[in-house]
Amino acid sequence: MRLVRLAPALLAAAAVAAAGCGQSDDRATVRATVDRFLTAYTADEGAQACAALSTDTRKELESQESRPCPEAIAAVELDGGTVTRVRIAVTNAKVDLATGESLFLSEQASGWRISALGCRPQGAPARQPFDCELEA
Amino acid sequence: MRRFARDNGLGLFFGAIFLASLVGQALVGHADFNHLQLRHHDDPISLGRYVLSSDFGVDLMENWQSEYLQFTLYILMTVWLLQRGSPESKQLDKGGLGTDAEQRIGEGADPDSPRWARLGGWRTRIYSHSLLIVMIAIWLGSWGVSSVTGKVSYNAEQFDHQQAAVSWLQYVGTSDFWNRTLQNWQSEFLAVGSMAVLSIYLRQRGSPESKPVGAPHHATGVEG
Repeated sequence: MRLVRLAPALLAAAAVAAAGCGQSDDRATVRATVDRFLTAYTADEGAQACAALSTDTRKELESQESRPCPEAIAAVELDGGTVTRVRIAVTNAKVDLATGESLFLSEQASGWRISALGCRPQGAPARQPFDCELEA
Repeated sequence: MRRFARDNGLGLFFGAIFLASLVGQALVGHADFNHLQLRHHDDPISLGRYVLSSDFGVDLMENWQSEYLQFTLYILMTVWLLQRGSPESKQLDKGGLGTDAEQRIGEGADPDSPRWARLGGWRTRIYSHSLLIVMIAIWLGSWGVSSVTGKVSYNAEQFDHQQAAVSWLQYVGTSDFWNRTLQNWQSEFLAVGSMAVLSIYLRQRGSPESKPVGAPHHATGVEG
């Protein structure tokens, strides 16, 4: 009868392992990336702010503004604010700010990078994509 | 060693091909995941990271749950439901749980019967259903894990498209969860149902899952 008690315990352990492995480390890294970006953005330190963006997002901004990212990033209108919630799902993350804005991040070989920023929900948030100031 | 292998051939063979398939699934699943990453302009992840991810977890568990449900239902339904001519069925007058003497429990137990079959009372009642209890526990457990890992995998897609996350309760109401569940269930039910019916008319010489080759089509509950 030992197996009767063991099977659910093993499956529960597998669920925790699969769903939560390394998440607290990732959560801290994601939060630090967003904090670093917002600090640099607020202080007009374009190069540091751009370092937190994903390659595609940087390219998109440069294409939209026709100038290098460190100069163009100030043209993106963000409310900023403090981080209130970080959610990780495999290699993607969503960070909510106190102002109601959200950022989306993806994990790259160089670490977590911002793929969309200045995002606000439109309609039903789980069904419709957020409206973002900048996205890749 | 050779004797051990002969006495445990079925368990060893299926254990070995299970592990080989699991390794194969991890390798090709990892390659497939990274292929999708590149298509989304994201970077590949390591094999270790992949096998600990919810993407691998949900692919694994959605199949486990359906397999255990299949055999759980088969064990349960063959207690009462019969199939004329099938070696998978009991004889047509034998439906139900059977008497204590037939089941060799309590007073009807043999000296070498398992201890909980001999003891009577609640222990014999539990032991009488222990196979089903464990199968149901593994089925519900793996279905539960598949819902948790499926939710995380679903939310990864949501975030990739700048959409909000769903809660577990919202996820188990999504078409994604039920599509993953039902596409597995239907194939399991088809396989087990067709085996019960095909074995009325078709034979495999030497297999206990078949009737003897010369047994008539109407012979029920006869193993070869």
